[in-house]
Amino acid sequence: MSQTTRRSDPLVAALPWVLAALFGGIALHLIVLLALPVATPQSAYRRLTGALAPGVVHFSPRPAPGAKDEPAFADPFAALAACRFDLSQGPLRLRATGDGEHFLSVSVRLADGAVIYSGNDSHAPRGRFNILVLTRIQADALDEAAEDAEDQGAAGAEDELRLIAPAKKGFAVIRALGLRDGDIAAAEKIAASAECRIEKTAKSD
Amino acid sequence: MAALALAFFTTVYSLQKGPGFGAVRVGAWTCWPRLGGPEIDPYARAVVATDGALPLGQNEGIAFLATADDSGAPLDSRCDYEISGAPPPARFWTLAAYDPEGRPRPNIAGRYGLISSGLLRASDGAYTIVAAREARPGNWLPLGEKSRFVLLLRAYQINAGAVTDLFDGLSLPHIQRGACS
Repeated sequence: MSQTTRRSDPLVAALPWVLAALFGGIALHLIVLLALPVATPQSAYRRLTGALAPGVVHFSPRPAPGAKDEPAFADPFAALAACRFDLSQGPLRLRATGDGEHFLSVSVRLADGAVIYSGNDSHAPRGRFNILVLTRIQADALDEAAEDAEDQGAAGAEDELRLIAPAKKGFAVIRALGLRDGDIAAAEKIAASAECRIEKTAKSD
Repeated sequence: MAALALAFFTTVYSLQKGPGFGAVRVGAWTCWPRLGGPEIDPYARAVVATDGALPLGQNEGIAFLATADDSGAPLDSRCDYEISGAPPPARFWTLAAYDPEGRPRPNIAGRYGLISSGLLRASDGAYTIVAAREARPGNWLPLGEKSRFVLLLRAYQINAGAVTDLFDGLSLPHIQRGACS
């Protein structure tokens, strides 16, 4: 009996260490997992907009073997334009206009890749996107300003979509599709007409 | 030390398995409907980021990945594949071939995909695509020299009020292997 107790002693002594390693491992795993999307240089956010100042539009080259800075699994028929935003510098104004024939879509993503908005030209009034990405504080400031302006008889924005972003950094992607092999240039023209602008007028909290 | 090793191996292992949660299989195709929405889980988000992919937003469309044919045999560019059948219920759809890392492979035609609006069709709207290394008449999807490849079918503006309900009764193109060299 006493022998069994003695034999199990080292096991019992090791138990706290094993548990510590296990919980430490789980905690580290979760930390790495959650940090990875923002930290990895391979992410689409870094590839597309890593070197861009906020509000500058980047046009993706046509997918081809050896093309760098292309997102993985890029569609050969899609023309991509992307721009980065950092709402601490002011809200992002995003405009894109489709021609009704070509597919055009807009998506707004955070730095960790989460898609916070996506829409295609059939959702936008007359195929026109007019999106203002901003923080809650900036939105409240705009509302206050609008109320003051209304008192003075000014009209508000007609077709503007306001998008409250849960984080300050992210990127917007404009995607236009060519209709056939020789038509990618037309899609590139639509993507190239997209506009990203940091609005300096609103208060940047 | 042990904790570090454990964390390293579990993280690497979970990321290599692909964005596993919430996968939906339709025939030879697999899709992850939650990749393009706010409910994406942290594992899928980490996989997407390390792959460098830019998944379609839910209102842009849905992508379906095939790594094997209808019989379950892995896709191999030494073989020909016939892709035909029900097109996805979308405004446009595209089909493209990549290496397993998501890069287009060099091929003799310098083309990497096909789009629904550019397909040759029979009078009833039916289409047949042949994926092969050598040129084929009709809708030819050129394949690269390296044998392993994957197909990505993207359905833009897919007719979906509720993405998850959509998969009941959805049929997608068949992938049938032909002759192999």
